[in-house]
Amino acid sequence: MTTRSPGGPPPIEVRGVRKVFRQTTTGQSVVAIDRLDLTIAPREVVAIVGQTGCGKSTFFDLMIGLEAPSEGTLRIGDKSPHADFDYFRGKIATVFQQDRLLPWRSALDNAKLPLELIGLSEEEQRERALTWLNRLGLGAFINAYPHELSGGMRQRVAIARAFSVQPDIMLADEAFGHLDEVTAQELRDTFLALARESGSTAILITHQLEEAIGVGDRIIVFGKSAKLLADIHVAQWDKSQYGLLREAIQATLQSNSPDPRLAQS
Amino acid sequence: MSHKELGEPVASLGFPRHTLVSLLIFAAAWEVLSNLAPFLGIPPFAVPSLVRIAKAIGTITPLDVVVTLARVIAALIVSFIAGLALAMAMYRSDPLDKYLSPIIRVFVAVPVVSWILFAVLWFPGVEFRIGFVLVVVCGPVFLIDTLDAMRSVPRELRHMMRSFRPTTLQFFIKLMMPAIIPTIFTSWKVNISLAIRVVTIAELVGAVTGIGAQLSNAQQLFSVADVFAWTIVLVALLFLLEAIVSRVEHRLLRWRA
Repeated sequence: MTTRSPGGPPPIEVRGVRKVFRQTTTGQSVVAIDRLDLTIAPREVVAIVGQTGCGKSTFFDLMIGLEAPSEGTLRIGDKSPHADFDYFRGKIATVFQQDRLLPWRSALDNAKLPLELIGLSEEEQRERALTWLNRLGLGAFINAYPHELSGGMRQRVAIARAFSVQPDIMLADEAFGHLDEVTAQELRDTFLALARESGSTAILITHQLEEAIGVGDRIIVFGKSAKLLADIHVAQWDKSQYGLLREAIQATLQSNSPDPRLAQS
Repeated sequence: MSHKELGEPVASLGFPRHTLVSLLIFAAAWEVLSNLAPFLGIPPFAVPSLVRIAKAIGTITPLDVVVTLARVIAALIVSFIAGLALAMAMYRSDPLDKYLSPIIRVFVAVPVVSWILFAVLWFPGVEFRIGFVLVVVCGPVFLIDTLDAMRSVPRELRHMMRSFRPTTLQFFIKLMMPAIIPTIFTSWKVNISLAIRVVTIAELVGAVTGIGAQLSNAQQLFSVADVFAWTIVLVALLFLLEAIVSRVEHRLLRWRA
């Protein structure tokens, strides 16, 4: 049994999305996302960069369907992840900044969690979770509890948990930022390879420009209130220009306006 | 933390050695006091010897112990189910939480004796009176502990869980229940102690069976040895129930470091 959409992941269409929160203490409105337009093609790997508080995580909550846009539409295929919440069960998975494993579950049981939610048989759950844990090099640790694993291993379990449902859309919210560089690089490569191999559309939030350039087919640069400052197709840049690209993105983030050097994208 | 973790030596009977030594010292001091009582102007019946207490323990009627135990367990189960159900409803519904919270606070503030008097005035049946008092005393403790535990489940875990789109039932079964189990065990231990004390007082009023009723009889007969014997049984019962809960807790919470 798979929850994957027939014909592969559908495109993501974001049209005029605005998200406003009302602060409970002051009653003031805060615009987290202001009129965002974006299209993400099936199977694209998109890196989103932006400064802290720019609305990246709110965008993810809209993608996951935990929040509804205040205005505008966000559609995946012909459905809304918020209004059609149950439809997307098993179709969208997220790897978070911290592993967010359930401490009372073993690695295997953590990897099984989303499979339990979509109603697979016990046998299928175990088989699929084991497959993904083995692929992530955790075959010898399936019975270990999270506190018995290193940070990198826990994040591998979290990746296995997310991929185990074979989602249409894989989201990674600064998933490697808290790890040491060697582990982060290794996991980033693994994540990317698995995302491409499984044919998922992958969207990564990252603070690290090297990560964004190294991973994404596209890099989307958010300014304040998720204002779309740049939409960079990395393939249009030669590898020898990556240093320049990095500087241009950095300048864009600092000035909160598109750097002219990014015009070629 | 277990005694082994604390590095406390454990005697062969399963008692920590320090506990055993302190109990022996207390028993010896009691025996000395019992022998000296006539010389100190204390009536002999007030400080019975260990032998008399042991003899009184030999006359304990198991039926009364079983009846009290059954009352405690039944009331704790009802209190737990009611407390858990209400806590889940209050967690899900803000209005319910806002309206019920003040009432729960009032329930907790009402003295046990008042509940017993209300029960005597309101209900004719002895069993219902005892059950009522136990449930109104223990239920709110389960409710408050469970609700607090639910609210303490880390936001990150709730967010992660919701991202996988569980049904409401799955959310509670897969996340909330396992997350609150440690608190539930603590709450059970607190409530066992509370229920044992409350049931004794409740049984003092009107019951003809049970440890409380036997304590009442012993008091009317001025039999301090019997009071001691029944009290020792009560304490043993409390330790036994706590040990059972601790054993289950240890098994279920093996994942804890």
